[in-house]
Amino acid sequence: MSGNPVLQLKGILKEYPGIRAVNHASLELMPGEVHALVGENGAGKSTLIKIMAGVVRPDAGEIWLNGDQISIHSGSDAYRLGLSFIHQELNLVNYLSGAENIFLGRPYPKTSVGTVNWKKLYRQAQEILDRLGVHVPVNIPVCRLSRGDQSMISIARAFAGDAMIYVMDEPTASLTDEEIRNLFKVIEMLQSKGAAILYVSHRLEEIFEICNRVTVMRDGNVIATHPIEQINQSEMIRLMIGRKMDETVPPPEAEIGEKVFEVKGLSGHTVSDINFSLHKGEIVGLAGLVGSGRTDILRIIYGADPISTGELNLFGGNYLPKTPAKAIQNGFVLVPEERHSQGLVLGRSILENITLPSVGRLSHKGLFLNRKREQKEGKITSQAVRLKASSLQQKVGQLSGGNQQKVVFARWMIEDPKVLLLDEPSRGVDVGARYEIYKIIREMAARGVAILLVSSDLTEILGLSDRVLVMREGKMVKELPAKGLTQETILRYCYGEEK
Amino acid sequence: MSQTEMVIKKTKNRIDVGDWLRKWGTLVGFLTLIVVFSVLRPDAFPSYRNLRNIVEQAATLAIVASTVTLVMVTGDFDLSVGTLASLSGVVVADLMTRGLGILPSVLIALAVGGLGGLINGVLVSYGGLSAFVATLATMTAYGGLALLYTDGATIFSGIPEGFRWFGQSSLGPVPVPVLIMVIVVGLAWLVMEQTVFGRRLYAIGGNAEASHLAGINVRQLRMFSYVLSGIGAALAGIVLTSRLFSAHPQAGNPFMLNAAAAVFLGATAFREGEPHVLGTLLGVFIMGVLGNGLNILGVNSYIQSILTGAIIVAAVLLSGLSSRKRS
Repeated sequence: MSGNPVLQLKGILKEYPGIRAVNHASLELMPGEVHALVGENGAGKSTLIKIMAGVVRPDAGEIWLNGDQISIHSGSDAYRLGLSFIHQELNLVNYLSGAENIFLGRPYPKTSVGTVNWKKLYRQAQEILDRLGVHVPVNIPVCRLSRGDQSMISIARAFAGDAMIYVMDEPTASLTDEEIRNLFKVIEMLQSKGAAILYVSHRLEEIFEICNRVTVMRDGNVIATHPIEQINQSEMIRLMIGRKMDETVPPPEAEIGEKVFEVKGLSGHTVSDINFSLHKGEIVGLAGLVGSGRTDILRIIYGADPISTGELNLFGGNYLPKTPAKAIQNGFVLVPEERHSQGLVLGRSILENITLPSVGRLSHKGLFLNRKREQKEGKITSQAVRLKASSLQQKVGQLSGGNQQKVVFARWMIEDPKVLLLDEPSRGVDVGARYEIYKIIREMAARGVAILLVSSDLTEILGLSDRVLVMREGKMVKELPAKGLTQETILRYCYGEEK
Repeated sequence: MSQTEMVIKKTKNRIDVGDWLRKWGTLVGFLTLIVVFSVLRPDAFPSYRNLRNIVEQAATLAIVASTVTLVMVTGDFDLSVGTLASLSGVVVADLMTRGLGILPSVLIALAVGGLGGLINGVLVSYGGLSAFVATLATMTAYGGLALLYTDGATIFSGIPEGFRWFGQSSLGPVPVPVLIMVIVVGLAWLVMEQTVFGRRLYAIGGNAEASHLAGINVRQLRMFSYVLSGIGAALAGIVLTSRLFSAHPQAGNPFMLNAAAAVFLGATAFREGEPHVLGTLLGVFIMGVLGNGLNILGVNSYIQSILTGAIIVAAVLLSGLSSRKRS
C-alpha cells in the first residue's frame, strides 16, 4: 500500500427526486489496499458503487484512474477500464452453465476456426473456482446449483479478468464460513499483486479482519476515512448512525412457560429425524451452515414444504400443516428469508402488506374490504413496530430494508401468533433498525409467543436465544443452553468437530 | 408506545411533469383524439348518434376486456377469450334453433364459458403450465370446437326474435348492450377494488410467492379468475351473436387481441403499469374512438390496425420510459 491512488472519486454528486443520494463524496483507493466502505442502508454506498459500475451517471464530480480523468458510461466501460464487481444480487443467467456465467460479457476462448473452445472455457472457469477453493461443477445450468454455489459463481465472475480494482458489495452475505475464508485468501492474493479492493459489508468483524482503511458514509456524505488501526467497532458504528448507541441485544423480558409445540421424528425435503420443542415466551436459536436444513425445518412446519414422516404437536394436539394458510390458522407465522421475493408485495402499499393475511378477517363478512378497520389495525401495529414511513399508503418498495422488515413483523402482530418462525430476520437491515427488530422479537416473546430463530449471524443467535439447536447436514446434532455458550462451541458442532 | 414518525418529503410541492404524464397522459391522449376528430369532422364525429354508436360498438369488447383484466392483474394471460366467445356464441344460437328457450340457452352458453375458464384455471394453477402455453392450447382447441360444432357454417335461421333483446334493444335511452357493459364493468371494478378477492388478486400479481406465504390460496384464486374471465368472454359472445343475429364460429376471435390491447393501454393510465378495470375501459374506448374516427375520415382499415399498434407501443413506451428514469 503505497504510491499514488489508482482510483479517485472527487466530489461525486447524485440527486434523485427528493433525495441527495450522494452528496459531494470523495474517496481514494490505493494500490494494494482493502478499503472498507460502511454505512447504514440508504447511506449512499450502493449509489456510489453503481456510479463506478457505469449503471448510474453522477450529476457532478470527477473520477480519476491512475492520474487520468475518466468517465464510465456502461458496464463494458467499467470492465475495459479494469474495474471488476461483485454485486449484492446474483445476476446469473439461470439456464447457462457456471462457466458461461463466469465469462458472461467477456470474450469466450476461441478455437482455431473461431467457434467457442468449450474445453478451455470450462478449464479457465474451473481454475478461478479452484483459487476460491470451492468445488462447484461449471458445466451444468446454474439454476441446478444450490444458493451458496450460485453465489460462488457470481463471485468467481469478478475474478475472470485481470482487473486491478475490485468492488465487492456484501460478498459474504450467503457464504459459509469456509467459503468466506477462501474468499479472503483470494483477496489477500490480489492485494499482494497490487490490486485495490473496495469492500462493502454489514459484518464489521470482517472489516477489522481484512481491511486496511475504512470510509464511513452517512446520509450521502462521506463522514470520515480512517486507517483501521485507529478506529474500533463502537466508534465505527457511532460514525455510521451519527448518535451514540450500543449494538447490544436488548435484555430478555419474557418468562418461559408451558410447552407449546413439539416436533418428533420429523423428516421431509433435506432434513430427517428432527426432534425439539418450543415453550411459551422462549426464543430458540437454530444454528447451522447454509444448506444444513434450517430453512427447510421452518418451511415444513409452516406448510410450505411437504412433510414425509414425523409427528407435530401443538398444545398436545396433533398438528399437520398442509398449506401456509392452515399453519397461520393454527397460530404459526413466518418471517421469510428473502424479504423481497418471499415477504412483501413491493408495488403495493404498506397497509396492504400489513393486512395481507388478515384482510379477510378484517373485512365485512369476508367479502368486502373494510378500509377503516384495516387502517386502524395497520396504525396500531405499525406503531408497535416503530415503523418510519410518510404514511401507510406509501409503497413498501420505497422503504429501507429495516422498515420493510418491520412491515412483515407488523403483519403478524395482527394474527396474535402462538409460534413465530424467523428466518434471518436482520439480514440486510442496518445497525439501528436491527436493534429495533430485536426489540420487537423480545416483545413478541414477552407476549408469550414461542419463537424459532434461524440465523447465520451467531452474535444474533447468542444474543437472543434461550436455547440453541445446531443443524448439520439435515440432522439436528446438538441442543445447547445459551447460558455461557460461545460462537466457537456452536461452530465446532456446525462443522462436525464435536458431536 | 412511541408514535409512528412522519417523514414528510419537501419535494411533494413541486409537480413532477413525468409523474403527472404517467398518471394522466393516457386520458389526455384519449381526450385529444376526441378533440382532433371533432375538429376534423365537426359534422359527423361529435353527434349524439355517432357517440352512442361508438359506445354501443365498444360494449362487447368492454365486457371481455374488463373480465380478462382479472386474469391479467395476477400477472397471467388468457389467450382463449376470443375463441371461447365464438364457441359460446354458436352454442347459444344452436340451442335456440333447436327449440330451447332463450334464457336456458343463454345460461348454458355462460356455463360453457365458465367451464372453458375452469379448464384454463386448472391447467395453469394445478397443472403447472404457464398461462401462455395453457391458454394458447385451449384457444386453439376452443376455436376448433366452435368450428366443429357448426361444421364451419354460420347459424342464420331459427334464432327467435326475442333474442334480439341482448344486442339490439334499448331500455329507455340506454342500449341493452351498453347496460350489460355498465353492469359487468361495474361488477369487475367492485370485485377488484372493493373486495377481499380483488385485493388478493392484486397481491398475487405483485408477488405470488409472498402471497402464498402470507396464507393466500394462490392456486384457487388464480383458477377462479380464469373462470370469471371465461364467463365474461361467453357473455360477450352472446351479446355479439344477438347484435349480428347470427353466429359465426369465428366471430368472437378478434376479442382476444383487442381485449389484451385494451388492458395494456389501460395499464398505462392512472396507475403505474398495473392492469385495472377503469383503465381497461378507457383502453376499450380509445380503440373504439380511434376506429370510429378513422372510419369517418375514410382511412383505410388496414392503416387503422397499424395505427392502433403504434398507439399501444407509444403509450406503453411513454409510461415505461418515465418509470425507468425514476429507478
